[in-house]
Amino acid sequence: MTPIDTSIYAAVSAAIRAEAQRILTEGQVSAVVGYTAARRKGSAQPVVITDANDAARLIFTPACVNNLAVYLTKAKKEIPKKGRIGIVVKGCDLKALTGLMGESQLKREDLYLIGVPCAGVLASTFDPARELTADSIAPKCSECDAHLPQGCDFLPPQTPATPALDRKYAAEIARLEALTPQERWAYWKEQFAKCIKCYACRQVCPFCFCEQCLCDRNKPQMVETTPRPAGNTAWHIVRAMHLAGRCAGCAECERVCPMDIPLNLLNRKMAKELKELYDYEAGFEVNDKGPLTSFTEKDDQSFIK
Amino acid sequence: MHPDKPKHAFEPKIIAFVCTWCTYAGADLAGTSRMQYPPNVRVLKFPCTGRIDPVFILKAFQQGADGVLVSGCHPGDCHYIAGNFHARRRFAVFRKLLEFVGVDLNRLQFSWVSAAEGGKWVEVVTELTEKVRAMGPMSEFKELALEEQWSGAINTAELKEAYNQI
Amino acid sequence: MQKYISQHNLNTLLDKLIAAGTRVVAPRMNTGTPLYEPLTSSSEMITDQLPRRSAKEAFFPVCEDIMTYEKEGQKVSVSDIDPARFPETVLVGVRPCDAAAIPVLDAVFSWDYKDEFFLERRRKTTIVGLACTTADDACFCSAVGLSPAETKGSDLFLTPLEGGGYACETFSEKGETLIANHPELFSEPNNAPPLPLAQPQTEKFDLKRVKAWLDEHFEDPSWDSIATRCVGCGACAFVCPACHCFDIVDEGTEKAGTRRKNWDACGFWKFTHHASGHNPRDQQPKRYRNRIMHKFKYYDDKFGQTLCSGCGRCIRVCPVGIDIAAIVDEIGKK
Repeated sequence: MTPIDTSIYAAVSAAIRAEAQRILTEGQVSAVVGYTAARRKGSAQPVVITDANDAARLIFTPACVNNLAVYLTKAKKEIPKKGRIGIVVKGCDLKALTGLMGESQLKREDLYLIGVPCAGVLASTFDPARELTADSIAPKCSECDAHLPQGCDFLPPQTPATPALDRKYAAEIARLEALTPQERWAYWKEQFAKCIKCYACRQVCPFCFCEQCLCDRNKPQMVETTPRPAGNTAWHIVRAMHLAGRCAGCAECERVCPMDIPLNLLNRKMAKELKELYDYEAGFEVNDKGPLTSFTEKDDQSFIK
Repeated sequence: MHPDKPKHAFEPKIIAFVCTWCTYAGADLAGTSRMQYPPNVRVLKFPCTGRIDPVFILKAFQQGADGVLVSGCHPGDCHYIAGNFHARRRFAVFRKLLEFVGVDLNRLQFSWVSAAEGGKWVEVVTELTEKVRAMGPMSEFKELALEEQWSGAINTAELKEAYNQI
Repeated sequence: MQKYISQHNLNTLLDKLIAAGTRVVAPRMNTGTPLYEPLTSSSEMITDQLPRRSAKEAFFPVCEDIMTYEKEGQKVSVSDIDPARFPETVLVGVRPCDAAAIPVLDAVFSWDYKDEFFLERRRKTTIVGLACTTADDACFCSAVGLSPAETKGSDLFLTPLEGGGYACETFSEKGETLIANHPELFSEPNNAPPLPLAQPQTEKFDLKRVKAWLDEHFEDPSWDSIATRCVGCGACAFVCPACHCFDIVDEGTEKAGTRRKNWDACGFWKFTHHASGHNPRDQQPKRYRNRIMHKFKYYDDKFGQTLCSGCGRCIRVCPVGIDIAAIVDEIGKK
């Protein structure tokens, strides 16, 4: 398969290290959230650095898949949110931060954004040493419009490769839309049946920051908590609905699913509908109202009698 | 006094989520005006369509509804000024999601019925009931409720019976 | 007993079992994901990929009904699930790491309370293990004292041979019965050498030292550095062949419903959340500490065994790259 040019990642890594060290030394930030190498060949993991000497551990590679924005939400109490925090962000991750700012979860002045010129990351880290190719690249990267994150406090000068790839989600959504409802139901039934309710999709999602998830509640129980096909289907429908108009497509839900359920398809379908209905795209600017928390009097109501 | 009711092989269960200010009053008007409409509809009253969470619709289907109606005040008439405007967007999106996972949208109807529109209520309910009757029972969610992960499946007749009671 | 079976005869055996109404569970592809699942034909079995979920669910399902209830007027009737209705099962192509975890689970499921759901399935299941020929750098069975040729847990163990077919060795009556019921499919062992087995690269852990350190370090700052990044999902526990926590919930209406038992995970914040609102494991590192403690200390204290067989699944699926092999290795060197 066609390899993706990631030759700039070494220089990007060096720039991230230098910047993290500088801002930590100067005391501009209390911590930097970034990526560091792990034991397995080619692997990377999120890391929180508070000591300038540790900045040398930071890297950026195709295995740096995580959306680190999740660590800045109130759901992750383990990360101290004192003072300004530095965070390494790809374009897709920045969209999540933008959304969180719109929802009053974060303030721009509390963040020091270290942008990453990104040509793409791996779809899965089951085999982190895999070469980044048109085949192994994350499907979200095939539709990326943010190789260079905008409005960061620091952005390394490198220009990432932006290979033209087949738009995987668009193609798959079009395929599913062309099916009959019965066929689509059969498709999702098979997918959701695999779900084991590990909630990895929820836990990595920057927008799933509720203190108590509706789907964990049992009084009243709106969604079956058991990992049976019925409860699984309800869970994934509710999840997609709660993310509609907020999800900007970091696709972490899909990446982490141990059962390979194409969860981001639901999110992308919702995004597509919101674009068509209300000309709204999540993640580009800080809006205090999302498409489902606002309205106009002229909204389409052709479906209402 | 009542005309003879035609007998049908299938009587669909229709759940109607309505707002208390307009549609509930509209349904009430239909009743006090002695208008006939199908007894298949079960009405659940909410303060406003803005209070009707999409998860209620999902739950209704899961609990055995064959059709769902959501109805509230006409745009501009909301008792809480904008509840129905928010609901309009939410349901516009939710129905697209249901459609994408394979639910036939003919089973889900939205309407604006004011307190003065007893006749419209009768019309909407009758039309949805007859449409759903022609479609037959909503089997997807019911069948799903019978399915287990393979490892937990024992598939006994008694269990199926128990689920059918739910 | 040692025998030989060709690939063709193994397939014939599985098809015969399926035709006879036995549930044959083996690794197969489900919409692109390898899983242990009941086969409808031997041709579905795959042997080259480790299933994403472990074989434990053949005994300890993802979710199972344990009773149903019905209420009519004032009369409530409860019907128990009768374990006698569980199907006879042959579990085939089980990786040594998966098979070795099953006898470890016997200890906890037959301790003070005898879990009939687990034990009845265990009685009714014959486990056919398969020596492992593929490993990646997440595999660490050899580090916890097992190996790609480990026969622990298997009733019948298959070793793939050069030139095709498998060497078969029995380790229990169940294994012998399986051969005795189909003698025409097995022949005397031949001298073909086994295929080269997998070679996990991880160094052997010093489990005694690991436990000794854990005994003394319930409170230790290193837990924070290990698991601050844990996001609190249950992926590691759910794919694990040895994790066995479950939750019991009643679902239904006041008229009728079902009591169900489903997988639970110590990574969830709700796992130890009290009704009062207090949570003794109030932060993620404390929850992750429990995972390590349970596997390498508590289970050892109680049953003298390690609750980890080194399959590496949790390492592969962890959304944030938490690597239990690296953590335990480091603890052992402290």
